[in-house]
Amino acid sequence: MTTKWNQTMDRIRQWCVRYRTPLILLLLVALICFPFVVQDNYWRGVTTKIILYVLIVSSMNVINGYSGQFTVMQAGFVGVGAYTTALLMTQGGVSFWPSLIASGVLASLLALFVGIITRKMSGLYLAMVTLGVAEIVRIILLNWTSVTNGPLGVKGIPAPKIFGYSLGSSHAMYFLILILTVLMIFCTHRVIHSKIGRAWISIRENEHAAASLGIPTARYKTINLMYGAFWAGLAGAFMAVYYRYIDSTMFGLDENFNILLMMIVGGMGTLAGPVAGAVVVNLISEVFRFAAEYRQVLYAIVIIAMMWFRPQGLIGSLEGGYAIKWRRKRKGVFR
Amino acid sequence: MEKKKEGCFPMTLLEATGVSKFFRGLHAVEDVDVRVSKGEIFGIIGPNGAGKTTFLNLISGTYPVTKGKIVFDSENITNLPSWKVAQKGVARTFQSIQLFNSMTVLENVAVGFHKNEKAGMLDAIFRTKRFRKEQREAGERAAQLLEKLGLAAFKDVLAKNLSYGMQRKVEIARALAAEPKLLLLDEPAAGMNPAETQSLLEFIKSINREGYTIIVIEHDVKFMIRLCDRIMVLNYGKKISEGTPEEVRSDPKVIEAYFGSGRAAGQGGV
Amino acid sequence: MAYFLEQLINGISQGAIYALFAIGFALIVGVVGLPTFTHGEVIMIGAFGVYYCTSLVSGNLLLNILFCFVVTGLMGVLIHKICYERFENAPHYIPLVCTIGVSILVKNLAQIFFGSETKTMPPLIKPGFFELGHIRISNVQLTVLGVVIALSIVLTLFLYKTKYGRILRAVSQDKKAAALVGINVQRATLLGNVIGCGIGGIGGMLYAIYYSTFSPTMGLGVAMKAFASTVLGGMTDISLSAIGGIAIGILENLGIMLFSSSLRDLIAYLFLILVLLFLPYGLRLKGGRNR
Repeated sequence: MTTKWNQTMDRIRQWCVRYRTPLILLLLVALICFPFVVQDNYWRGVTTKIILYVLIVSSMNVINGYSGQFTVMQAGFVGVGAYTTALLMTQGGVSFWPSLIASGVLASLLALFVGIITRKMSGLYLAMVTLGVAEIVRIILLNWTSVTNGPLGVKGIPAPKIFGYSLGSSHAMYFLILILTVLMIFCTHRVIHSKIGRAWISIRENEHAAASLGIPTARYKTINLMYGAFWAGLAGAFMAVYYRYIDSTMFGLDENFNILLMMIVGGMGTLAGPVAGAVVVNLISEVFRFAAEYRQVLYAIVIIAMMWFRPQGLIGSLEGGYAIKWRRKRKGVFR
Repeated sequence: MEKKKEGCFPMTLLEATGVSKFFRGLHAVEDVDVRVSKGEIFGIIGPNGAGKTTFLNLISGTYPVTKGKIVFDSENITNLPSWKVAQKGVARTFQSIQLFNSMTVLENVAVGFHKNEKAGMLDAIFRTKRFRKEQREAGERAAQLLEKLGLAAFKDVLAKNLSYGMQRKVEIARALAAEPKLLLLDEPAAGMNPAETQSLLEFIKSINREGYTIIVIEHDVKFMIRLCDRIMVLNYGKKISEGTPEEVRSDPKVIEAYFGSGRAAGQGGV
Repeated sequence: MAYFLEQLINGISQGAIYALFAIGFALIVGVVGLPTFTHGEVIMIGAFGVYYCTSLVSGNLLLNILFCFVVTGLMGVLIHKICYERFENAPHYIPLVCTIGVSILVKNLAQIFFGSETKTMPPLIKPGFFELGHIRISNVQLTVLGVVIALSIVLTLFLYKTKYGRILRAVSQDKKAAALVGINVQRATLLGNVIGCGIGGIGGMLYAIYYSTFSPTMGLGVAMKAFASTVLGGMTDISLSAIGGIAIGILENLGIMLFSSSLRDLIAYLFLILVLLFLPYGLRLKGGRNR
């Protein structure tokens, strides 16, 4: 039964890969028209949230999927970005755009720190260390009351302005996140198809062999962390001006696992995976709104089920991706 | 088959002095001195467990030495991490093939170019002239390499889907892509049939003629005798013989190592 | 001075609990070969175990120890079935993600079935002190220390004097070699996981007895204490992990003498980062392990 499922999904996937350019253009057009077509504020909000998550999950995918470093702290990077922008704008009177960049940079610096302390560590332990660092960030954000206002969070974050024109409307917010996300995917596509991206993938596939070709693996792993963190920081900056209020509970363990879930469902190591994951998980959570308590239970079951039956995610292919050869060996090559 | 004259390799490319590697009680490599000259094909043979791969790993920086010094191209590379050694111009293949399995043949070879490519992240994002030029040149060189190794038809095949012999070739192509001064081949003929072995031998000789210095480890002694300019024999981590193929094959210590010192030893050379 | 010594004793007692968390964790990571995200929830179940056993059955210490061990041991069986059994040769992130899934599952099911509010332990140990000069050690602290020491001795005897202990040690050093000498690696990892979880469960029991209050969301905090304790030993060395746990306990108690107690948890994390920064392989020699 699962085999038929898998085969169907792979056929769909191959079809999508063949026609990907027209599909992407179609998607972009649809996304641009969306806020003019759909007037319902609620669904506009849902879509804005989905696009935001596409950005966040994509940034985590660069780290976990392309360089193979298993981290669980993306919400921590987002949180650093969010607080940076929130505090700069409310306390420092800084405008949005420099705050946006500062958010990315500060998140990157955190990633640099993580890269340095984990440089000699086996990849498996990285997951726990990043969880620890994420917790440290959360605790500091929660307790450093003089700076972050503690559990009360930062409120009254103003809307971004461009040439004096306020971008506070839901339309403007939507396009802001859309532009950020498209920019990220565009840049990442280009970086992946360069020597840097190839180095990252080679580190994932075989770190030893990568080093034997002159790639300074620890350095590239850290650069990869910093790259992913940068975009997560930008996502955090957006969150600050979109929700107009942030506090440390928005960036805790649950959020980290939420992002991880989307990445797993969508598939690691491809650019489209995070998109699928963000869409699917958020839509499912909309459908199951009523069963709030059980939602997390459902998430957990989905995570386990994905690992059991389709570890490559929805978009991950049977041919590429590193979960696959193991599954084929288990089930036999001729399925 | 060309015969090289004695003593026509004046310049030393790699010099190992007193190199030893102890693993918690096991003397994997013990006090090995060797000089490899530029432009030669240098072979390392010895029974299983003699320390050949360990010695190669010491040169390539995979393991740190316990004692001794390794000088490459007049630079001390002892205990440098393997990526630094690679950047100085050493490339290698591995005993068990270490390809990037989810990448295609072309992509595997492309990674080999990494250390010589200069374009950075911003170049990649903005597709600057420098980036495009480097990519174009890399593409051309990759095509040439694949052609030379007979892999051109397979350039978009995923590495893990290739046959064993093809995978070995991809590994060699990838090592050559790095344009190394010294190429280390660890059992390149493993798993090959006689025809493939012969074509591998000719291939190694042809790249040697292009100027690559090569150190080869192999078990197939006849192969090594036809291939190498000089051979070193290791046994239990120690160097027991070194010299031209003829010298080594008739060295009684070598015969003893392979065949023992009983009656059978007298009945046939290596 | 007496205050300092009392804080030290507090530190050692709490450290002993952390040490127990860490020992269980190190055992699991060593034998299974992967870190796990479930240990926090296992400890939490141990805490709920002693709570329900004491409230509904009896406050007998030995009974509670056995009960918690069995319950969390069974949990270990379940975790093994879900996360490890079918993934013996899979890329490592797959079982790792499964443990994340299990931890989310257990945490939320606990919130649903036990209620998400903080629970208070009914008294188990007779309140009272033991006086040593000017210093007091409470009965609870004595119990904790006693249980931890006893368990450590039992575990050491088991690992070094019995056949199964030897099997576990072999598997933790080199799975392939162990398989080659005929060890059933699957069963060994099951056993290691069960024992590690059981020990974690007893740790949870001690936690509930010592602090009296606990909640279903305690998992992450205690898991991080366990993890931080084990980095001294490269995550798999049991004795070093125990030492790490005690060190963290002492540092926490001395630390709150200096700064506010809301930053108490940060101390364990700071310990983690400092150890990693300066001793990336822990106190053991570089590259000691084979896989």
